[in-house]
Amino acid sequence: MIGYLIDGPLWYFSLAVFSIGVVWQLVAIIFASRKTDLSVARGSASRGAIRNVFSRFIPHREIAPQIRVQVVAGYMFHLGLFALLFFAAPHVIFLEENFFGFGWTAMPHWGFILAAQFAFLGLIILWLRRMLNSVSRLISTLDDHVAAILTFVVMLTGCLALLEGFHELRLLHRFTVELLLIYFPFSCLMHTFTFIPSRAFTGAWFGRRGIDS
Amino acid sequence: MRIQTLLLLLCLALLQFQAYAADRPPPAPGMVSTVPGADLWREVRQRDGMIIDGISQVKGVDTGVLINAQGDKWARFRINNPVKHAPTVIIAVVLVLLLFYVIRGKVGIEGGLSGRMVLRFTDFERILHWTLAIVFLFLAITGLVLLVGRPLLIPLFGKSAFSMLASASKESHNLFGPIFLVSLLMMLYSFARRNIYEKGDLTWLLKGGGFIGKGHVSGGFFNMGEKSWYWLVILVGLVISISGLILVSPNFGQGRVIMGISHVVHVLGAIILMAVSIGHMYMGSIGTEGSSEAMKSGYVDINWVEAHHDRWAKECHQKDQVISAEEFARLQGTSLDRANVEATEQAK
Repeated sequence: MIGYLIDGPLWYFSLAVFSIGVVWQLVAIIFASRKTDLSVARGSASRGAIRNVFSRFIPHREIAPQIRVQVVAGYMFHLGLFALLFFAAPHVIFLEENFFGFGWTAMPHWGFILAAQFAFLGLIILWLRRMLNSVSRLISTLDDHVAAILTFVVMLTGCLALLEGFHELRLLHRFTVELLLIYFPFSCLMHTFTFIPSRAFTGAWFGRRGIDS
Repeated sequence: MRIQTLLLLLCLALLQFQAYAADRPPPAPGMVSTVPGADLWREVRQRDGMIIDGISQVKGVDTGVLINAQGDKWARFRINNPVKHAPTVIIAVVLVLLLFYVIRGKVGIEGGLSGRMVLRFTDFERILHWTLAIVFLFLAITGLVLLVGRPLLIPLFGKSAFSMLASASKESHNLFGPIFLVSLLMMLYSFARRNIYEKGDLTWLLKGGGFIGKGHVSGGFFNMGEKSWYWLVILVGLVISISGLILVSPNFGQGRVIMGISHVVHVLGAIILMAVSIGHMYMGSIGTEGSSEAMKSGYVDINWVEAHHDRWAKECHQKDQVISAEEFARLQGTSLDRANVEATEQAK
């Protein structure tokens, strides 16, 4: 019964909430009313947007030493998670069977383990920094903690089911994924979809004013 | 004539058979065995513990060994020692600490907490400490499930539920093991220099860290007890990590004997580290007044420093590193009232 619920109705419900929620949020951001910029352009907005999207991947030289830990941990976590999500063999099969109809080459098992270790270590360090640095702690909200813990739980249940020998462990992983999908559009996890538009927007704003951002 | 020739040939032929028969040893007397092939299997089983490599068409590590008697010894040792005694050791340590707490109580600071603070650990050092602690706790729990789960958890959850739990524990234990090693090496890199033994440490040991006798025991940034705990974590942690890597990578060519030894070393090291870490947790939290703050905010009260690390306290005063309660509250983003309340609660 629980298995049927997790594999069936709850899965479709969470997928619907995720899809509609993400589209809703993005549409709201795109069509948000903004004042027309009447100033004379001093530079190219589009060039500034493109430049900012890519330049923000590397921390600014002046602040790099202060944020070294979160930059390294951030890359470890995000790259590890990306590799797990799209290149872990069970995920490739799942995406092929349920979404795309075609598959691609999956990571070898050792690659999966390495990616998972990178992602776990990165996430643990990032969350600990949020908790232990007084400034980060003060500006963190409940949403930040819930998002981090939920992501950790999803990754952990995925690794518990690594042997693919127990139906219950797979169900547990899927259930936590469904919780994450439902939580996703209403949380800071939306930065997955908004980080490029927001960088572009800021870059365009600066670019138009001739500011080297 | 013909008949004579035939008889002669016959005699010669019989003589040949007789000579052949004389060369052969007499036939062995008949043997009665109630267990057919016992000798053969005794040899195969290598009862004396000698590992004899046989010949096999399959080429690889241990493929020439039919039955490894050492494996039997390892299994018996595992069941009769670590599996049987690990829970006892851990429970005993907890009970001893509880008893100690009841008798001795919290080790206080003369004069209580002052509210004036000194930075002891940076953000990075605390992140390292907690990363190692979280990963260690996770490995300890999953490791205990694998070690003593069969006798302790099957009666509680049943075989199928335990089977699932054991599978999950094994996969996650193997996955988190290398993260422990990485954290440990980072810990070695960050803390090693301050944990080198120096003059005065032996006095601390002889006075039992202040628990034996009366009077103050002198200590630097880290005292002898903290240094010894640090090196125990590093050395035993490395032994556990290396033996764990040997266990998790059977395709590197190590045989069953090395795997068995690695397992024993891994388990014994882990039990030692678990037992001592309970003591560390006790000392860092309810056991000593003002200690936990070091790994929470990174700051410690100057009175705590003077009580436990007087040589470092002198340095702090000389370098003017002591900050006021107001400054500490500002750095932590808390109001002074709240900081005072927390300090008072800690003092209680």
